[in-house]
Amino acid sequence: MLHAKIIDSSIEKIEISKAEYFLKSEKFGAVIYFIGVVRDNNENKKVNGITYDAKDTMVIKSFEEIYNETEQKLGIKNKAVFIEHVKGHLKLSEKSILIGVACKHRDEAYRLSRFIIEEIKKRSPIWKKEHYENEDSEWLKGISLTT
Amino acid sequence: MKISVELFGAAREFSKTKYLEFNFSKSCKVIDIKKKLYEHVDNKFNGNLNYKEIIKSSAFCSDKDQLIKENQILNKNQIIGIIPPIGGG
Repeated sequence: MLHAKIIDSSIEKIEISKAEYFLKSEKFGAVIYFIGVVRDNNENKKVNGITYDAKDTMVIKSFEEIYNETEQKLGIKNKAVFIEHVKGHLKLSEKSILIGVACKHRDEAYRLSRFIIEEIKKRSPIWKKEHYENEDSEWLKGISLTT
Repeated sequence: MKISVELFGAAREFSKTKYLEFNFSKSCKVIDIKKKLYEHVDNKFNGNLNYKEIIKSSAFCSDKDQLIKENQILNKNQIIGIIPPIGGG
């Protein structure tokens, strides 16, 4: 069971309560939330916000592929996964990503959560533009998808 | 034949619009589109080396969200996406 969505920050916010509602089940004894938030510094530069860009349809497709791979790669059959990632501008401490996972036991849940965020970093077409105190801004260097 | 390149991430700096459009007299390969992008940077941004590095390190995707290789042949009007190095989360 997967929920995957891009959140336009100009319209709505990531809300943990939605993940709690989606993941709630008597089948699962372990629920973990990973939340990414905007921090105030990067490489000795004072950051005051980040603009996220995304190729929405391709991002959702990547979330679905990552979810579908978890049974074979991690051996986790019974699970619920909630993934939302922001697109648009965020201020400091605002949430950029929420990955909620629910499994039968905690070991599965920890492994699943870690696997999903690491794969998103490597595969999902999302970009960050940092905004600095001196009013400069910069697209962050990332991982090339060239083959 | 018209190829529209949808801009994402750092490649959005290449234009104030969401797309760059290139015309070809017949079919072309993705690598030909990269050449057009390099020419665009030469003409509009005085050969900005950072922008050229973005093109060099970018992947491209089809309108069906599949990554496409540099030797992929395009033979009809279509939109492709330029995918600079990624880094969400």
